[in-house]
Amino acid sequence: MQRQAAAGGAARSLPKFLNLAQIRFPIGAIASILHRVSGVLLAVSLPLLASALAESLRSPQGFDAVVHAATRSWFAPLLFIGAWALVHHIFAGVRHLFMDAGFGYRLPQARTSAFVSIAAGIVAALLWLLAWGLR
Amino acid sequence: MRVFSGQRAWLLQRFSAIAILVLLVLGIVRLAMSDGTAYERWHAIATSTHGVVLILAFFLSMGLHGWIGVRDVVLDYVHAPSLRLPLLAVIAFILVAVQIRVAMILLGQP
Repeated sequence: MQRQAAAGGAARSLPKFLNLAQIRFPIGAIASILHRVSGVLLAVSLPLLASALAESLRSPQGFDAVVHAATRSWFAPLLFIGAWALVHHIFAGVRHLFMDAGFGYRLPQARTSAFVSIAAGIVAALLWLLAWGLR
Repeated sequence: MRVFSGQRAWLLQRFSAIAILVLLVLGIVRLAMSDGTAYERWHAIATSTHGVVLILAFFLSMGLHGWIGVRDVVLDYVHAPSLRLPLLAVIAFILVAVQIRVAMILLGQP
């Protein structure tokens, strides 16, 4: 603060890089943050998955209830978020595995694979909504 | 725990990721290759010995992979030790509880 005050107007014109609306994220950064977001969503869904496992094995009626919840309940269309998270996370994860193994880490390929990961997630979400619409 | 940090965590994250992928593909192929209604197929797999082992392995891989991922997220964004440690403890408790629950579901079936 003191140094800024001493520098006066010059300090005030320094760019601040904390304004998220002003930062232009490269596509790799977008794929990366979405990998995190989708991962957290998948981790949160793990206890729900255990509940679905229990219910689906309890009885044929329990199995039907799980299928009904996933395809015909009021929240079934919202599971497009889950479809997105799963597919994006798998694509972005396989992308990382390839990079770890020494493939596709150069910028052009890395940008292409980042785009493919993002697109695959969006396509999966749209397919889920389409399947729900046509059910 | 040391086993779940540093390079070991990095390796475990990769190996569990590969395990999850392989088990997912195996599960889809196995479901597609069996006969009967959807419930009959699913029930036959989930009550067979190899099915129980594979589903347990799937949830264990998901739990380990999820732990490393969520731990990384917490360490990156939650800095106050008074918040970070209880949060990590709660997450670890939930993930372990899920493992126990899945084991009870699969091993407690008639």
